[in-house]
Amino acid sequence: MIFNSLEFFLFLFVVFMLYWLTLKKSIKGQNILLLISSYIFYGWWDWRFLFLILLSTIVDYYIGITIYKNEKQKVRKSWLWVSVLFNLGLLGFFKYYNFFVDSWIDMFSLLGYNIKSTWTLNIILPVGISFYTFQTMSYSFDIYYKKLKPTNNFLAFAAFVSFFPQLVAGPIERASNLLHQIIGKRTFSYNQCVGGLKLILWGLFKKMVIADSLGPIVDDIFTNYASYSASTLILGAIFFSFQIYGDFSGYSDIAIGTAKLFGIELKSNFKFPYFSRNIAEFWVRWHTSLSDWFRYYVYIPLGGSRETKLISIRNIAIVFLISGLWHGANWTYLFWGAFHAIAFVPIFLLGKNSKYKNSIIGENTILPSINEVLRMVMVFSIVTFSWVFFRSATIADAFSYIFRVFTEFTFHSYIHPKGFRMIDYYILIALFVVYEYLIRRDERAPFNFKSKYVRFVAYAIVVLCLLLFYDSSIDRSFIYFQF
Amino acid sequence: MKKIFFKGAFYSLLIVIVLELVIRGFHLTKDYPVRIIDENKVEKWQPNQNGFSVTGNRRQNFSEFRINNLGFNSHREFTPSKEKKEIALVGDSYIEGFHQDYQYSIGKKIENELTDFEVYEYAYAGYDFADELNLIHQYKKDFNLIDYVFIDLKFNTDLKRGEYAVIPDRMNLETPFYRNIRKFKLLVYLNSIGITGDLKTRFRELIALKIKPDRIVSNKSKPEDNDKINPKYLANFNQLIETYNFDKSRFVLLLEKRNTPNAFKNYLKANNFKYIDLTEVLEQSKAPTTLVYDRHWNDNGRALVASAIVNYTKHLELEN
Repeated sequence: MIFNSLEFFLFLFVVFMLYWLTLKKSIKGQNILLLISSYIFYGWWDWRFLFLILLSTIVDYYIGITIYKNEKQKVRKSWLWVSVLFNLGLLGFFKYYNFFVDSWIDMFSLLGYNIKSTWTLNIILPVGISFYTFQTMSYSFDIYYKKLKPTNNFLAFAAFVSFFPQLVAGPIERASNLLHQIIGKRTFSYNQCVGGLKLILWGLFKKMVIADSLGPIVDDIFTNYASYSASTLILGAIFFSFQIYGDFSGYSDIAIGTAKLFGIELKSNFKFPYFSRNIAEFWVRWHTSLSDWFRYYVYIPLGGSRETKLISIRNIAIVFLISGLWHGANWTYLFWGAFHAIAFVPIFLLGKNSKYKNSIIGENTILPSINEVLRMVMVFSIVTFSWVFFRSATIADAFSYIFRVFTEFTFHSYIHPKGFRMIDYYILIALFVVYEYLIRRDERAPFNFKSKYVRFVAYAIVVLCLLLFYDSSIDRSFIYFQF
Repeated sequence: MKKIFFKGAFYSLLIVIVLELVIRGFHLTKDYPVRIIDENKVEKWQPNQNGFSVTGNRRQNFSEFRINNLGFNSHREFTPSKEKKEIALVGDSYIEGFHQDYQYSIGKKIENELTDFEVYEYAYAGYDFADELNLIHQYKKDFNLIDYVFIDLKFNTDLKRGEYAVIPDRMNLETPFYRNIRKFKLLVYLNSIGITGDLKTRFRELIALKIKPDRIVSNKSKPEDNDKINPKYLANFNQLIETYNFDKSRFVLLLEKRNTPNAFKNYLKANNFKYIDLTEVLEQSKAPTTLVYDRHWNDNGRALVASAIVNYTKHLELEN
């Protein structure tokens, strides 16, 4: 069940009504409802996936209690490893098995040995497995590091693991933020609910207007890149930057908004990343729940930046490479991660990785300074360049794409694959950037205008755009579901 | 809780009103001309109407139509006489051409080339071969005065019946219920961009407990199907030809490869039917010949069709 579907809104309405009207006074009842509805939501894709999530829930629930009960560090560590190996084992089997087998065979064929692959399997990748396995692992880690007491409430824990708004594409929640909200009492708040609905509307706009309308153009350019000139290839990469941002941040907004309807606050996942002034700031603003996860559970345990510069650089490289591989079993993602590591290291060595951590562009002014604009354009260019690796089907395609950008430097006006006016999309993107700039102070309040008339005009324009760019013939699934 | 539903409903209503105004103000959706069945049992448009035809969410195609005093979209009135030279084009939406300003219709393009001819476009969206021949029969007084009659025929879709009868489904769109619904331009717009259709389909699927939506099946015909001739369609063709005394000397069929098998063309040739195969002129064009949203001819396609008719008419004139 995807967020931008009729069945989801019918489902959401029914669950919302039951949650607040019939089960208002019973936390247990509400949690049972959340669990059942989350399992229905997830099973809608394929009911067989439910066994995996249930297994992951049971294993981490008991491991959490076992780690907590044991005083001996060695035993605690062993149980933590059981949790890590179990979750990574699931992930490894379903997501990476074929990739490693194929890569192994490719390596042998490079050395002149032709091996026929009889080891690859026809495995279906369970939706969102990378998200919920990381979430359950964080629970075991937090207990191991004594930052969290395990819960004895299996129902609440199961609801935490499978909480449907963020189950399949995040934000990846740490138990310390989400679990206590599920265990505790929720009260209906009008403002929270309205805030949730606004985020859902804005998320739908980002997904259905920005991402979905750019999708066919991006698909066309990346599929037929060999026949396009540099100007079109650059356009394809820029449009993909907006497509993936609209798609993923749109999903996150709908997830956060939906959780708000149930009185639960999820972490922000995107904080206007394309308004970053260096790559480090970009990573504070892009997919923050995953960045936080890697910082807490990989980077800091490896020594973070407490050791020598060389070890710190090694740690940065490891985090970015794992982050790349997390996205998918393909060399393209690994290159994407490596590219970001290379872009990040100079900022780190200059000691500027925290420079923009707590500020935004145009902090005290209406317009950004020229310096800020130039920095922003530079970061956007670097990130857009990196997306070519991310979007290409193979690493060879990515390099060919980039090679053509530099060797076929001619300008050709691009024609939409369906013949639509391209000017509509240029105007759309320009207005989107301007609007995002206007709301840049709070990613959780996309309609935060003092005047209710201005707010209403904004709602009306967003709804109108949903109609103006509606296309019944396109695939509406979210890009990050494949991860 | 009540407050959120009350305010939500209030805001939704306001947004619906704003959208209705925007759609009307920017003319984002099409006008529906009124259909009638005349005293001869011919389905056509109510005479003397004007309006705009709009395609696409963002008015990607916008054109004006003008229904003349006989009930067909044309820049002129139809006044055939023995003194003048006339051509009649009989067909469906391809000839009717709501998706192009009526001043630039196929008929007008032909008249620009053949200045001594008047061209009458007896076309109506949805007409099949039975509709077309029945129309010619019912208006035979006029058609007997017309020099050449070009009839659009799509073998794979226009020969599903062998005798004429009024199609009630289309006329259901003229019931008071549908007429009133069409007054809400927002609904018309939602329908035209496919939202209402998608929602209806998905809703039906959900009621039938279909968890996954049906995949859209491509309706492109396979190339190998192109040469197969459906015997039922051929029988219908012959039945209609016989019923309405098809005049082989004046009537010319307009055919296209994408919806007509080669075997049928061979059949026509063997039986001395006149026809123009539009395939070659359309396929040779470097510029697209169809619209963005559907397979109707665009301005270029219509110009090519007009030029093919002009050339054939010149050839007929030489013969006569």
